[in-house]
Amino acid sequence: MKTDEELAREARAGSRSAFEELALRYKRRLFVYLRPRLGSDQDTEDMVQETFLKLYRNIDRYDPAYRFSTWLYTAATRLAISSYRKKRIAVVPLPAEEAGGVADPAAGPPAGMEASGLWDSARTLAESQFRVLWLRYGEDMEVAEIARALGKSRVAVSLLLHRARTNLMKRTGAAPAGAMSAARHASAGGPMAG
Amino acid sequence: MLCHLTRKTISGSEDRGKALPRWAGRHIGRCEACRDYARFSASLKTRFAGDRSAFLAAVPEFPLNDAAWDVAGAGRKERVSLGRRLVLHPFPAAAGVLAVAAAAFLVFRTVPRAPMPTAEDQAAARAAFKSLVAAPDGFRGALTGAESSLEKEKRIWESSVVSAVEYLQARLNIRIERRDPPKDL
Repeated sequence: MKTDEELAREARAGSRSAFEELALRYKRRLFVYLRPRLGSDQDTEDMVQETFLKLYRNIDRYDPAYRFSTWLYTAATRLAISSYRKKRIAVVPLPAEEAGGVADPAAGPPAGMEASGLWDSARTLAESQFRVLWLRYGEDMEVAEIARALGKSRVAVSLLLHRARTNLMKRTGAAPAGAMSAARHASAGGPMAG
Repeated sequence: MLCHLTRKTISGSEDRGKALPRWAGRHIGRCEACRDYARFSASLKTRFAGDRSAFLAAVPEFPLNDAAWDVAGAGRKERVSLGRRLVLHPFPAAAGVLAVAAAAFLVFRTVPRAPMPTAEDQAAARAAFKSLVAAPDGFRGALTGAESSLEKEKRIWESSVVSAVEYLQARLNIRIERRDPPKDL
């Protein structure tokens, strides 16, 4: 199976099928990422389409030195911000977002999306906190990559991640028994290893 | 306060993938709430990864409007082919150079330079120079005329200076004496 970066290189060389494969891989992930900011499924779908269109148009500008996902989420973030400014979509109250507040936990997952455990709990967090959690754990990005994608500093991203973890723990409670040992096995050499 | 600091340190260590400092480890050993937080943070990667597939599967299916890509792709190809034409095909560049040369030819015209003096002209010039050198009387007369002109200028200048000095003496009621005259003016 080809990596995203290999597919992106092929797409840059003119392979449309390679780009289609990338779009198929990322369309749901991008939807999940954009949905809290845009508020409705229809707007989110439109934004996903627009993002892929923009990437396809500018695929020759893709720099293989960076991960494809970083490039994609950077473009998506900028388009979403631009769209928000143009249309003034205000489904999620902006002041609470900017203040680092949290969304209404009772709101639950958006229509059409069933609850699926921890990610649904994460989706009830503030939109900015959900975004960093998604990029960190859903896309396995490093803090520097998240900072690049969001146009924020590393310190700001670290702070957002810390707030997200703290608020998520308040929502879900402590980790279930055995999670610690499973996490240790999964990430040997991680922070708890010392 | 210490708990807050410890939890931020736990988060930072989680993000950087580094071990916790010893003081934080000691605090976690004593504080159950921070221990819970550390356990929770460490478990997130595994738990999120386990839930990811189900979470993405719940996203409503929607088709991609790849027909729009054809339009975008056509624009991209045009952009690329323009660049390639300029780089890879030298004929337009050569045609441009020829056009510039033709325009320059129409605007400017070439004019032949004056012909070099012939051997006869050079011989005549040498003879004229010799005749000038061979006429010392006239030449000396010219030099004497120039000298007398210089003397005249010198006298006029000296009289001007003297009258100026006299004026200053009368005006300021002082006496100005002349220093040793210059050897040569």
